[in-house]
Amino acid sequence: MKSLFSSMRDGLGFDIALVAFALGFLLLMSGLPLVYNVVMSFQEVDMFSLGTFSRPFVGLRNYIDLFAQPETYPILLNTLIFVVGSIAGQFLIGFGLALFFWVNFPGASWLRGLFLVSWVMPGLVVGAIWNWILSGDFGVLNFILRETGLIDANIFWRSDPDYSLYAVIIANIWLGTSFNMILLSVGLSGIPGDLYEAAELDGANAWQRFWTITLPMMRSTIGAIIALGLIFTLQQFDLFAAITSGGPNNASNVTQYWAWELSFRQYDFGKGATVSVVMIVFVMIAAMVYVRSTRHEVRG
Amino acid sequence: MNGTTRDRLMLAIAIVMAAIYLFPLYWMYVTTLKSGSEVFATPPSFWPASPQWSTYAFVWESRNMGRYLWNSLVIAFGSVALISVLGVGCAYVLARYRNAWVDVGLFLILMLQVLPASLMITPIFVGFSQLGMLEYPRLAVIIAIAAKSMPFFVVLVRATFMSVPQELEEAALVDGNSRIGAFFSIVLPLARNGILVSALLIFMQAFGEFVYSKSIIQAAELQPASVGLNSFMGPNTNEWNNIMAYATMYVTPILAIFVLLQRRIVSGLTSGALK
Repeated sequence: MKSLFSSMRDGLGFDIALVAFALGFLLLMSGLPLVYNVVMSFQEVDMFSLGTFSRPFVGLRNYIDLFAQPETYPILLNTLIFVVGSIAGQFLIGFGLALFFWVNFPGASWLRGLFLVSWVMPGLVVGAIWNWILSGDFGVLNFILRETGLIDANIFWRSDPDYSLYAVIIANIWLGTSFNMILLSVGLSGIPGDLYEAAELDGANAWQRFWTITLPMMRSTIGAIIALGLIFTLQQFDLFAAITSGGPNNASNVTQYWAWELSFRQYDFGKGATVSVVMIVFVMIAAMVYVRSTRHEVRG
Repeated sequence: MNGTTRDRLMLAIAIVMAAIYLFPLYWMYVTTLKSGSEVFATPPSFWPASPQWSTYAFVWESRNMGRYLWNSLVIAFGSVALISVLGVGCAYVLARYRNAWVDVGLFLILMLQVLPASLMITPIFVGFSQLGMLEYPRLAVIIAIAAKSMPFFVVLVRATFMSVPQELEEAALVDGNSRIGAFFSIVLPLARNGILVSALLIFMQAFGEFVYSKSIIQAAELQPASVGLNSFMGPNTNEWNNIMAYATMYVTPILAIFVLLQRRIVSGLTSGALK
């Protein structure tokens, strides 16, 4: 007992206790719900059986029902469009901005940091602002598009099923671009400058330098950022709640919003858990890519 | 083209790009100052004809914003406190050793970091309701946010601890300090700034948190400002000047903190996400 106490005070026991508290909390509050989620996806859980532990097991019925529902595939497709569209937009605009701010001029790093306000704002506020900007009759985006001659008639971003998903994608690109840009800037500043000097001596032009030095040197950063973008995009919920609520008629619904809707709007917790399990598998795969591409840096 | 001209040209382009990027923010602020009819003018005015400052007082009173913001603060401070108490020690140990166990711990932490809140809320809600935790909805939300955000905090703070030279701690131990004494009197003060920035990032996240609060907190008196904003925006709303005033009062403190501490926040953030 005495040795245990002194180890807590002076030795390995101190370290183990510190980690055990934190990891114990995490496993209890994140790990256990994860397992519980899988259990519930094999059960029938509704408002009445919410409080009890003895709920009927239904085997794979939730999964079979889920993939038999007519809205499942459109929503999965929406999720794919949302993820690909958001990541492509965030990454390309972010990379362009990062390359621009890479050129050193006074005020560059301060201005670059300012972009990050889009990322620190609460998602609900970003959603509210874009909801107003994208409004059909009085939205300022329609006004600008009309004035520049890009469209003839107003686009009803939020209520037109052809556009509602893109309304959320536009808002999400705005939200995430700055974060991409900052991380890409970090990666760019890590490339040694003499590589470029050597290439310039050999007569490589800017275009060739970009393809033969910048991109290959950025490979692990880009991998990490795309994986991180995938993780963040699949976490995006607030914008859907604030702009379209998944509507009209599921036209802009994605799985992470749908899972919540099934549980908290239709009170079918078993079905909500089922959708969650399917999605968490995807998120885990993205997380492994992310951990792999930052692993050498994590070990430091 | 000499250096100065090029610098000025680049700066001008950069300012134009920042202005375009930050236009949505400008639009939020300018809308709050418009009168009810000016909001729906065609073409829209980009500068308010006669600024309506009274909108703020009206929205603050009629939407009960003091109460909503207070709840947001309670939830944000509670989450930061819980995360700091649990996370700092964990990050310290994970920075101090390099072995396979630490790799396993980091891997676990990174994997738990990525679980989307809107997918985890179903099991958390059902579990909490079975444990009777829904009687204390704000505490339940704080615990849920802590579980969600702690991995991020640990990764950030660990990067800070790695930059504290281990020799200093060893010297303190040789001088007769216990591990606990050395931790509190040497290591923690040296890592203070990094910990504060990480805590600030967590605070800003928790201050805007929505999914957990929306699902767990049913009573309007206990809901935070994000849920209040959501219920303010009906499907066919037309009080956009009032909604934008709500958003302004909610977000301006966060923006002010961010602009003031921008350099530290940006460097803290990047050290955690990539390194």
